[in-house]
Amino acid sequence: MAIKTQTFIDPFQGTPQRFAATVLGMWVFLVVVAMLFLGAIMGYLVVRVNPNLEAPFIPEGATGLPVSLVFSTIALMASSYSMHQATLHVRQGRPQEAHWSMTITMLLACVFLALQVFAWVTLWQQNVLFGDSLYAWSFYVLTGLHALHVLAGFVPLIRVWRKTARGGYSKQYPEGIVYCEMYWHLLGAIWLALYFTLWLGMRT
Amino acid sequence: MTTINLSQPLDTATRPDNYLTHTRGFMSWAFTLDHKRIGVMYMVSVLISFFVGGVFALLVRTELLTPGQTIPGVTADVYNHFFTLHGAIMVFLVIIPSIPAALGNFIMPIMLGAKDVAFPRLNLFSYYLWLFGALFTVSSLLLGGFDTGWTFYTPYSTTTPAGGVIPALTGVFILGFSSIFTGLNFIVTVHKLRPPGMTWFRMPLFLWAIYATAIIQVLATPVLGITLLLLIVERAFNIGIFDPSMGGDPVLYQHFFWFYSHPAVYIMILPAMGIISELISVHAHRHIFGYKFIALSSIAIAIFSFLVWGHHMFTSGQSPLLNTLFSLISFSVAIPSAVKVFNWMSTLYKGNIVLNTPMLYALSFLVLFTIGGLTGIHLATLNTDVHLHDTYFVVAHFHYVMMGSALIGMIGGLHHWWPKMTGRMYNENLGRIACIIVFIGFNVTFFTQFFLGSQGMPRRYYDYLPEYQIYHVISTIGSYIMASGFLLTAYYLLASLFGGRIAPANPWGGRSLEWQCASPPPFDNFATQPRVGDCYDFTAIRWDEKEQGYVTDPALDSTKNSQFAAKNLH
Repeated sequence: MAIKTQTFIDPFQGTPQRFAATVLGMWVFLVVVAMLFLGAIMGYLVVRVNPNLEAPFIPEGATGLPVSLVFSTIALMASSYSMHQATLHVRQGRPQEAHWSMTITMLLACVFLALQVFAWVTLWQQNVLFGDSLYAWSFYVLTGLHALHVLAGFVPLIRVWRKTARGGYSKQYPEGIVYCEMYWHLLGAIWLALYFTLWLGMRT
Repeated sequence: MTTINLSQPLDTATRPDNYLTHTRGFMSWAFTLDHKRIGVMYMVSVLISFFVGGVFALLVRTELLTPGQTIPGVTADVYNHFFTLHGAIMVFLVIIPSIPAALGNFIMPIMLGAKDVAFPRLNLFSYYLWLFGALFTVSSLLLGGFDTGWTFYTPYSTTTPAGGVIPALTGVFILGFSSIFTGLNFIVTVHKLRPPGMTWFRMPLFLWAIYATAIIQVLATPVLGITLLLLIVERAFNIGIFDPSMGGDPVLYQHFFWFYSHPAVYIMILPAMGIISELISVHAHRHIFGYKFIALSSIAIAIFSFLVWGHHMFTSGQSPLLNTLFSLISFSVAIPSAVKVFNWMSTLYKGNIVLNTPMLYALSFLVLFTIGGLTGIHLATLNTDVHLHDTYFVVAHFHYVMMGSALIGMIGGLHHWWPKMTGRMYNENLGRIACIIVFIGFNVTFFTQFFLGSQGMPRRYYDYLPEYQIYHVISTIGSYIMASGFLLTAYYLLASLFGGRIAPANPWGGRSLEWQCASPPPFDNFATQPRVGDCYDFTAIRWDEKEQGYVTDPALDSTKNSQFAAKNLH
């Protein structure tokens, strides 16, 4: 359907200006996402160090963080690396390899999500239920919020993946793939911070 | 020092159409990417919300005319819904988007000589986020309403039986993201789309204010987002970090909320200060005094805004050390605020002041902001705050700042840029009269509340002792006076659309770029990117009888004059 609107007026004078502006916009966006998670982490830490607890923060029966988180961390880090490789390939003019790296990135992202689901199931089997304790609540909410952001990341990932398939990025201004890479590295960094926070929360 | 470059009034006669007539039909507005149309859409939406919020304000004031029930059918419970809706609508739907999203969207790219904001699609997306957020918030009315106050304090907000709390929270959450994306867009626009010749310290001060605001928007609003998200989860599943029964902390909510909402107060006031800088300089026809101080004080306020949130919580039981620190830092906000006020006063000094409607609003702002700001010192003082906390003194104080300053600034800006937006002049005499009515009504309403509060009348109460009645009656009468002023404003502004005199390109004698394109501007603002010089140098501006407006006279803009202006500046 052709919607009759007035023509789009490009505010930029050419690709270099648009590229620089959008990279800045992405940085601002990364700050926004980081602040969101920073708020969540601060909230978790405040209730975790609350000195007036009646029952122990970690309920009986919970045996610590699921081991699968180690593997999901490795998967996400590896996907960050392959994402970086994909951009490098594009910048150095190897579209075929870039496409392969994007495929690997997406597979690793799927592995990460599957492992996160596995971690939730593990906790659930240990009878650590969402509504039972703040420990369970904060684990599910923090990891769930992050998993949602990874899931949302598939929208740009798929777009970039399809564009690399037809070698659609220029070497000098590989616009979309750079923005996607920035977001993806942030998700990796946030996951490390979250994992560290949860690990810290398990210390008594 | 021949840095002043003139850009002649651009192709006013050669362009056959403007942004309003360039394309036609509903779809051309609903899917427009033009920042001017999006700005107008925001403006219309904000003004409608302002009307709705105002109706709730009048209902609240009318209910308080007598102790106990005044309006038949308005029980204490209904009254709680009224003031909550008044607060939520005015804060989240009106004041926060009013200047950045509505006026900023329209004016900022033109001031920069740009064709649009950096990301026009994101801009339209922000508008629709605003619309959906507003629909969610207002739909809570049909779903049982919400009576938590606009602050949604826990544990009341997680336990109240009112059915509309989750829709309202969702609405505010969405509105937050609208605000974030607008801020993101503006930061990038200011950084990357400044024209050649416009260095940071040559930007109009309105842009500095919008830029400082945008920084607060992107840094603080995500924290509100996560807070509301956690609150929604908590209310839906009856468990969360704000619930003390399981080791949570209800005061944590207050910390989170004010970490956003105190900076949000500066999201409201900073752009208004930007507008006042423009109004005072243009309508006094005098170079702004202390440009760098005004510009940098905006940034200083943006930084301070993140360090003072605890002053909302002096009585919440936080540690005395925190209280002292927050009190001290809150005092220091007075410094950049006063820097601005004194610089505006100095700009007015020996200026060629024209007492037209925008200038009257600017002068009202100076009076009202000074009262609002100074009473803030009372509240930042620890021992007086214990007495005044949650009384009408607080209500009066923040109405002086939010309404008397932020909204008055917005309405002043609306008058200032109305000829640019619509291409029509409004009735100047009615404008002056309405401004004076609003000013009188505002002071009768809210100055009285300082007395009420200092004598101990708590805020948000439905019933009160008979001793307080006289103040409540005066305050309510004041609110009616104010409402009549705003109705008059609505009348002559709407009338100007149909019968107003055609506006010239530069009706006030402004020098910044928006006055150098036609009124209303063409759809792409400028055919070629203009060069700019000092946007507060009015020496080259003179009245042109034929145009019935001001024009830039190249003959007057000699090197001598620019040097004279430069000397004045230092």
